[in-house]
Amino acid sequence: MSKKVGILRFLGTNCDQDVWRAVENVELQPEWLWYQDHFSESDYCAFVLPGGFSYGDYLRCGAMAAKMPVMKSLSEAVNKGKPVLGICNGFQILCESGLLPGALIRNHNRHFIDEWVDLDLVSANKYWAGELNECSIPIAHGEGRYYVNEDELKKMEDNGQIWWRYRHNPNGSVSNIAGVMNHKKNVAALMPHPERAMFDWMGSQNGRIFFESLLR
Amino acid sequence: MMDLNKKLEHYRINRQEYSKIKELLGREPEGLEWALFSALWSEHCSYKSSRVHLKKFYNKNSRVLEAFGENAGVIDLGQGERVAFKMESHNHPSFIEPYQGAATGVGGILRDIFTMGARPVALANYLCFGEPEAERMPHLVEGVVGGISGYGNCVGVPNITGQTEFDKSYNGNILVNAFALGLFEKGEKIFNSKARGVGNFVVYVGAKTGKDGVHGASMASESFDDDSESKRPNVQVGDPFYEKLLIESCIEVMAQDLVVAIQDMGAAGLTSSSFEMASKGGVGLKLRLDRVPARDSSITPEEILLSESQERMLLICEPQNYKALLDIFKKWNLDAEVIGEVISEKQVQLYWKDELLTQLDPDLLVENAPQYERSYLPWTKEHKDESWTKGLPSVPSVTEKLMSVLKDVRGTSREWIFRQYDQRVGARTARDCSDSVGVIVLPQTQRALGIVLGHRPYITQWDAAEGAKDAILYPALELSAKGFLPMAVTDCLNYGNPEKSEIMSEFVAAVENISAACKALDTPVISGNVSFYNETQGQNIISTPATGVVGLKEDIKNIPRDCFVKASSQIYLLRLPQLHISGQTALQQKRNVTGHGKIEVNACAQFVKQVREMSQLPGVEATKVCGKLGLAYTLSRMCTTKLGFRAEKGLFLGEEESNAHWFTENLYEVIFVLEKDSAENFAKSWANLRNSESTDKLWRMGEVTEGEVSFSGEAHINVEQLLTAYNEGWRQNFESLA
Repeated sequence: MSKKVGILRFLGTNCDQDVWRAVENVELQPEWLWYQDHFSESDYCAFVLPGGFSYGDYLRCGAMAAKMPVMKSLSEAVNKGKPVLGICNGFQILCESGLLPGALIRNHNRHFIDEWVDLDLVSANKYWAGELNECSIPIAHGEGRYYVNEDELKKMEDNGQIWWRYRHNPNGSVSNIAGVMNHKKNVAALMPHPERAMFDWMGSQNGRIFFESLLR
Repeated sequence: MMDLNKKLEHYRINRQEYSKIKELLGREPEGLEWALFSALWSEHCSYKSSRVHLKKFYNKNSRVLEAFGENAGVIDLGQGERVAFKMESHNHPSFIEPYQGAATGVGGILRDIFTMGARPVALANYLCFGEPEAERMPHLVEGVVGGISGYGNCVGVPNITGQTEFDKSYNGNILVNAFALGLFEKGEKIFNSKARGVGNFVVYVGAKTGKDGVHGASMASESFDDDSESKRPNVQVGDPFYEKLLIESCIEVMAQDLVVAIQDMGAAGLTSSSFEMASKGGVGLKLRLDRVPARDSSITPEEILLSESQERMLLICEPQNYKALLDIFKKWNLDAEVIGEVISEKQVQLYWKDELLTQLDPDLLVENAPQYERSYLPWTKEHKDESWTKGLPSVPSVTEKLMSVLKDVRGTSREWIFRQYDQRVGARTARDCSDSVGVIVLPQTQRALGIVLGHRPYITQWDAAEGAKDAILYPALELSAKGFLPMAVTDCLNYGNPEKSEIMSEFVAAVENISAACKALDTPVISGNVSFYNETQGQNIISTPATGVVGLKEDIKNIPRDCFVKASSQIYLLRLPQLHISGQTALQQKRNVTGHGKIEVNACAQFVKQVREMSQLPGVEATKVCGKLGLAYTLSRMCTTKLGFRAEKGLFLGEEESNAHWFTENLYEVIFVLEKDSAENFAKSWANLRNSESTDKLWRMGEVTEGEVSFSGEAHINVEQLLTAYNEGWRQNFESLA
């Protein structure tokens, strides 16, 4: 099996190099996927959409990135069942492109929030983070308040698509949701940043398992 | 035709300078020349009031690779790693338009760093606001913090530390000083701004030029009056997304060695960047102003020259590399344009279409700018109020006093501010804004780099010389208490009107004493900025020489915490008696700061070294330098893990001493928290480490508890109560802020 992990890079992505190092750290092979290019999904074992401010968050977070050429290839990879992880702005892009349900809107206090949060697992994802039941990793976002309507939420809950919940809701997310999955469970995304919790000196190693689990 | 007086006023040029211009040119200045001299001879660009004194800075040792000549200073950390850093003010624009003023301050300092070829990896901010109830103050606080957050988070450089002061002297003139640090990894080249190579292209890259910020540099060089509001159009608007593209593309063209020289367009825009590049390189430039990408076709040559539109760079490249350079900028969706070329004749020639508008020797504007010996008095001891000998009056209740200090705007938590900053983007952050030292890890060697910003305005208010020494020693001590070796310094000197001798006296005292402290510590001053005319309607701010000190630790292990780690650990107090002042506690009680004593820089430098060694002894769980508001406040801030403490005055002072001692400030004191079993050995090691002539003393002063806080049996406070006061004080001071 390929050990290559494709990391999508848009103009304004700013956690790309952090994710690159995280992937390298667990002995997988990172490779850039530039926003204007297409790629062949069979060369990769998985894909990550890192955080940042693609296109400056102008228009709407993730809205412009969702329309870029590279997303067409990603969509094909998703259809073929390849695992995809979205982090922060990556989560926003996946929602905007329709690969995940729901939307991410301005935090309830209207401010950007940087802090460590405790997460509880709701339904495990077999590619990312595996059996990790709870973890402590940091958030850093201004628009991380997850929203779906009640009917959709019910469907997602019934189908096991809620991935992580905040123990203390920092941003007003519906049902304390921090991360979700698509119907087939191969696309998963969360607002917190696992690549910022790779070593004890960062404050926690809990993020490491998100990437390591790809090797299992 | 404007008459001469009107012209001089318009261009903010005085009679004396006008005569000098005529003498240099051998004739009357004409046309565009007025605007060029106005910009480059402004205080902001020329440092005309400060230059003679800035030369006195201790600014060299074997680690220094670049100091003052370029956009930022650079030091060598060994093992191929080097860092560039600098601090800069954006006070005037931030007072007029806080969000954009602060945002563009961050943008400007970042460009100074990546212009050198370094990737920006850390930001920090030194902010001074007025009293919460002052006019517009909540709006200014919200705008400044929002602007820093909006810009820094989007470009993806973490804010890892900072300092925020509140004092009425800033009611009409807030201070926004931004610090940035960039990293050169092994093999990465340091770039400069010396134009060279006749026939090479002058390339403009980045945002298009608009009419914003025209005359910004000269605006920042005069005092505020009632008319400040009308200066709003002089403030520029920042675009952090564009800056991010510039960072990535410029780093890429530099990595591929496609540029000969590079300079950002900051104050006085294209004028200062082009004339400085030519002057430094000893060459001339032929510039076609009509080729400068403009936002608006009605823009005039003068506006193009003086515009301070943000996110623009000027670079020199060899013609054969231009195609490759253009491809990289295109990849990042940026437009680049050749606007001129390097010529051998040492003249900057400004063309509009085919007409030569003017040509000038760049040295006339850069090297020959005026240098003033403003009048000042040598600093003497008479300047300080030493009337205070008995200490603060005894407080009726330690509990009540501590609670009021924790809730006061001076003492309350700054979390509302730093929670809005991305402190971890880059995935290098080991210690964030909640700690006394901001720490990032250097990826190639896994060493730790520590950053502390400093200067306590109330100490300078009491005595400009002592305040300046403390502005270096206090951050250096904070670094050493975490095991870091202080390496080098940047500063941002914020002062009132330099034409007033009392202000200039404080300025000179600060430069000389900062330099003395830096020499004692062997931490050269490698970069910095001076901001004069921080006065509104004749009211000067407290002189505020803000500093940034950078330190290195060879490993990331054994960085003591800022907070208590476990109950029953032993608390020690180490003191080197220098100054004893009533400090912020007096200000909180609406009284003047008084005190006595003097800082001996050599003794302190020795102490800094000793503290660094002590911080690495076995069993050291936490350390904290005792700072503003005294010992009770400092100990309380160590309770963030919900552990409390029992502190016994009798162990180090004598029970008969006034309980006000818990709230006075003794420079310098460091708290060490020791794991119980290591405590005895720690005390023994101290005796071995110290210099026999040192006057420092070490006492055991108490222990960590499960959650109860007490002072010599006097106060009994639950730690939850104490944390509530500390965390909620902000909201009480700024009710209107969400």
